[in-house]
Order: sequence, then structure tokens, then C-alpha cells
Amino acid sequence: MSKPLVVFDKVQKNFGNFVAVKELDFEIREGEFLAIMGPSGCGKTTTLRMLAGLETPSVGEIRLNDRGMNDVAPHERDTPLVWQSLALFPFLTARENVEFGLKMRGVDKAERRERALKWLAKMDILEFADRDISTLSGGQKQRVALARSLVMEPQILLLDEPLSALDAHLVIRMQAVLTDLQRELGITFVYVTHSQSEAFAMADRVIIMGKGEIAQIGSPKDIYREPANQFVAEFVGRNNILSGNVASLSDDTARITTPSGDFTVPTNEVRLTEGHNASFVISADLVHISMGEPEGSNKAQCKLISEEFVGSMVTLFLEDAQGHEFKVQMQERELSKFDLKSGAEIWLSWDTASAHVLNES
Amino acid sequence: MPSSADRKLNLYALTWRLPIIFWQFIFFVGPVLFMVAMSFFLVKNYRMTEAFEFVNWSKMLSRGYFWDSYWYTVFIAGVSTLCAMCIAFPAAFALAFRASENTRRWAIFLLIIPFFTSYLVRTFSWFVILSENGVINGMLNYIGLGPYTMLNTNFGTLVGYMTLTLPLVVILQTVTMANIDKNLIEAARNLGCSAFRTIWQVIIPLSKTGLIIAAIFCFILSFGDFVAPFYLGGSQEPTLPILILDTTKSGQQWPRAAVVAIMMMGTLFAIAFTGIALAYRKKKGAK
Repeated sequence: MSKPLVVFDKVQKNFGNFVAVKELDFEIREGEFLAIMGPSGCGKTTTLRMLAGLETPSVGEIRLNDRGMNDVAPHERDTPLVWQSLALFPFLTARENVEFGLKMRGVDKAERRERALKWLAKMDILEFADRDISTLSGGQKQRVALARSLVMEPQILLLDEPLSALDAHLVIRMQAVLTDLQRELGITFVYVTHSQSEAFAMADRVIIMGKGEIAQIGSPKDIYREPANQFVAEFVGRNNILSGNVASLSDDTARITTPSGDFTVPTNEVRLTEGHNASFVISADLVHISMGEPEGSNKAQCKLISEEFVGSMVTLFLEDAQGHEFKVQMQERELSKFDLKSGAEIWLSWDTASAHVLNES
Repeated sequence: MPSSADRKLNLYALTWRLPIIFWQFIFFVGPVLFMVAMSFFLVKNYRMTEAFEFVNWSKMLSRGYFWDSYWYTVFIAGVSTLCAMCIAFPAAFALAFRASENTRRWAIFLLIIPFFTSYLVRTFSWFVILSENGVINGMLNYIGLGPYTMLNTNFGTLVGYMTLTLPLVVILQTVTMANIDKNLIEAARNLGCSAFRTIWQVIIPLSKTGLIIAAIFCFILSFGDFVAPFYLGGSQEPTLPILILDTTKSGQQWPRAAVVAIMMMGTLFAIAFTGIALAYRKKKGAK
């Protein structure tokens, strides 16, 4: 088990009367790829900026290597950041940009140059070393920005939505570059994003933030399959959420009555009370479809509203008689067996174990 | 091949441009050409007569007092530019980076107010402050100092130049620095650059164009100003504008004054051209 590199100890940040983030209480482990994800305005960038020293916590403390960082100026930290806007210096060449941090540290000219060229070569942009920043493409600038931070050989690299300005095909390429780099260097990456696909594709652990608070911390799989609460379940796209009343409880399952029907769910560790409200989710990819009424206790009859293709995956959007929306995700080649048309009546079903009960929040 | 619509548009644009083109020719290009021609005229019996002689040029440019005055004017305008840029920078820095947007708006408004009153009036008001029994010497007297002579000195001239240029220089510097991408400053801090060092490493390189233009304006205004060196500097050492006045007064030597004026214009052209070239100089793509 790796030891914590960074500790957020009950950190809160206020801007005037506005509370940007509160009760941030988590650890960042050495060598992990941590993604902080949430909708805009959730406080994820503020969290990152506090780590870089560009904001000071109003309450609580951030510790790096067991050292309290609240009074450490940004330029005295070793926490380089890759900016959403890249923030490359337009008056310097690519190589001079990469050398900037070393120059500030007083590294002599020859060594500076050598290290900068080494990183430019590593990022595959050596040929652009003496080019003006304005003459580089988006992907090349991205690589200069990464080299500028990594040349400092930090313990931790902060990334603030660095891929948001790139074309879709470049995003996939840069994701591979980033994960390879992180494995190879073994340093900690803290990656802020609003994109679920980026976070889930790269991160070892994900922090989901909403309204300035942490909603859930866990591996991408945990968060996808077992969202902690309704906010996470809704934020992590392709989930079906059902709410209703607990009709009966047994040892490890509960029967929940919803407007869309009665369903059996595993209770896991969540405490449920008969007669009280409860919500549960089923991931869209765990729902089966059939033309005739299926066996089992978890099923709903729905009408097909629309389909959405992303690559070979299809998402079906359906509605039951009560107007509740269901989503089903499946391979296109499986769907083609059914020959569905818009408005078709089909049955949905899922295994009891696929359902996940949410904590009230 | 322009279409008829294009031609119509061009005619429309031209119609609107005509007045300013006309104005420029009548009141700028024309007089300058006349002045150049006049520098070759002769003065006989206090009357100017048309001629094409180089005598004004050779007389003027071989006189020691012309070159003394020329270099003194270049020097004092240079000192004025340096002072204005240095005094304005902290103020502009604070307005651009520390003040709120609202404060900045008000400050720029207040900096425009001095231009409401005549520069001559503002210059005369310095008499009250700088004279031997003025406000400053009065206060220094309380702590047993002075009186210091401030009027009719280089210091007086510089105070006048500052009155003329400082508000403009502060405005130009503020606007330039307020437009800097704050992310770049934070990026520099993030890469180990102390707050003070960002001024040299990031802020000045980023605002280079605006700063040079502010300096050019300051130099041009100081170099051509007559009021400050005449009233506050006491024209002890005459600057070129004072020399022009003296030359026209003594023996109606308009042609020789024209020589001085053309030398001044040439100098300003050279300075402005070099400055702008420097301001917009770009690094080559490859070395």
C-alpha cells in the first residue's frame, strides 16, 4: 500500500460569502493517477489550485509529504500544473518555454538546454524546439505544456482539463500519452476534468465532486457500478434510476414498489426501513431486452423512443406507461437481431444482483 | 476584376474618407512641404524672399548653440520619458493587477480629467507650489530646510513634462497590463518564479508593445513641448521649441526656424519608427 503523498485535512475555501469547496478530507497516494471530476462550478479547479498554492484554504490544511503547505508560496512548491489554456509564454520559443522553470531554479544554461531538449524529444516534438509558440498546432502546444511541467521532475503533476481544447481523435491519443507517461515516470497525476470518459479511461481512482463537496471517492468501476448517491448516479451518465417505497425486507434483499412496478434489489450495506423511500440504479449495459414477457421478478414493458450510436455501442432510450425513462446500452450486432423500429413495445429485464441501492443524500 | 457592387462600395467609402484626406493635405502635408521649401528661402532686409539656397542649412547646422540645444532637448525629453515610465509603472501595475475592475474604471476616468483643463493653466498652477515662497518651500521651512530653487531649473522643466505626459502614460500602461492573460503570470509562479520576478520575466515581455508606445508618446510630447521649458525651466538652456521661437523673433529668420523644425520632425520620425519596429519585433521561427 503506497503512503499518502498529499493530505487534504477538512479543507474549505470561501470567496467572500461564497463557499467554493468544503469538508475536503481525502488523501492522494504516491504514484496514483487520481481524477477529480464533476460538473462545472463543483469546485474541482479550486481544489487543484489550492494544491498548487494559487489559492489558500480558508479552513483546514493541505499537507504535502507531511509538510503543511498553507504558508508556502506557489513558486516555492514543486507542484507544476498543466493549464486548460496551456498558458505557454508567447514571447518564448518552445524550448525556452520548457527551460523557464529550470531557469527560475537557477539551473545553468547548458544543463537547462540539455534537459529541455531531452523532454522535447520524449514528447516527440524535438523538431519544433526553436519554433515560436504561435506557429504550433494544438497537439504540439499540448506536448510543449506537458514537457514544461515534467522537465521540473516533480513528485506530483497537476492537470486542469488539459485535453478540453483538442479534437476528439487527439484526445484519445493524448490519453494514451498521459497514461504511458504516468506509468513510466511513476509520479502522481492529479487530473481535473468534467469528462467521464477521460477520467474513467485514465484514472486509478476518481473523486466525484458536486456543489463544492466530495460525493464519492473510488475506482472507476466502483463509481460506475455502485454510485454512492443519486447525484453520482445521475452524473455518471448511463444509469437507470428508480425510486419508490420499501414494501418488504428479507435477509439481503428488499422489494421496492415504484410507479413503474415492483422490483427486488440487494440491500448490501444500506439500511432500509419498511414503508420508507428508497432509490436504486441499474447500469444501462446490464439491462436485457426481449420481445415477449421475460421470466424473473425485475421487468418493465417500454416503448422505444430513440437510439444513439457511439461506435459499435448503441444506447436505446425508452419510456414505460408512466413516462419514466429507461436507458439500455448494448452492442450494435446484438441489437440488429431484434429489428426494432421507433415506437416498438419491448420488455426490459435485469438480474436482481445488477441493481444497486443508493444512500439517501 | 471588381464587380460593380464593389466599385459602388469603394465610391461610398471614398466619399466618407474624402474630408479627412482633404483636411490632411491642406493642413498637414501642405504646410510641411511649404516648410521644407521655406528652409531654402532667404531673408533680406527682414523680408523673406523665395530662393533655393542651402545657406540656412549650413549656417544652422554649423552653429554650436544649435547642437547644444539639440542634444539638450534629446536628453531632457529622454529623462522625462524615463521618469514618466518609472513613476507610472507602479501605479499602472497596481491598477492592472491589484485593483478591482470598478476601481480601474474610475481611476482611468479620473486620469482623463486633467485633460479637461488647458495644459498652460496646469503649468501656471505649479508656480504656487514650486516658487521660493510657495507651498513646498513653506512646508520645508517648518522643519528648518530650504528654501530650494525649483523654478527655472531642469527640475521645473521635468515637473512640467510630467504634468503633460504622466496621466497619458499611466492610462496606456494600465490598459496594456490589464489585458495580460493572468494565467501566464500564475503559470510563471507555478514554475518557480517569485511574484517580483514575474515583472521582468513575464509582465514586461507581454506588455512590451504597449509600454514602448507609451514611451514614444511621452518622448514626442516632451520633445516638442514649449510650455514647460519656457515657463518652469526658465529657458536657461533653450530647448528646440524655444530656439524656434527665438529664431523667428530675431531678424524674422523663418527659414532658419524651419531648419530647426525639420530637424525635430526628422528626429521624431526616426525615434517613432525605431520604437514601433522594436515594439512589434517578432522572433524568427527558426534561428
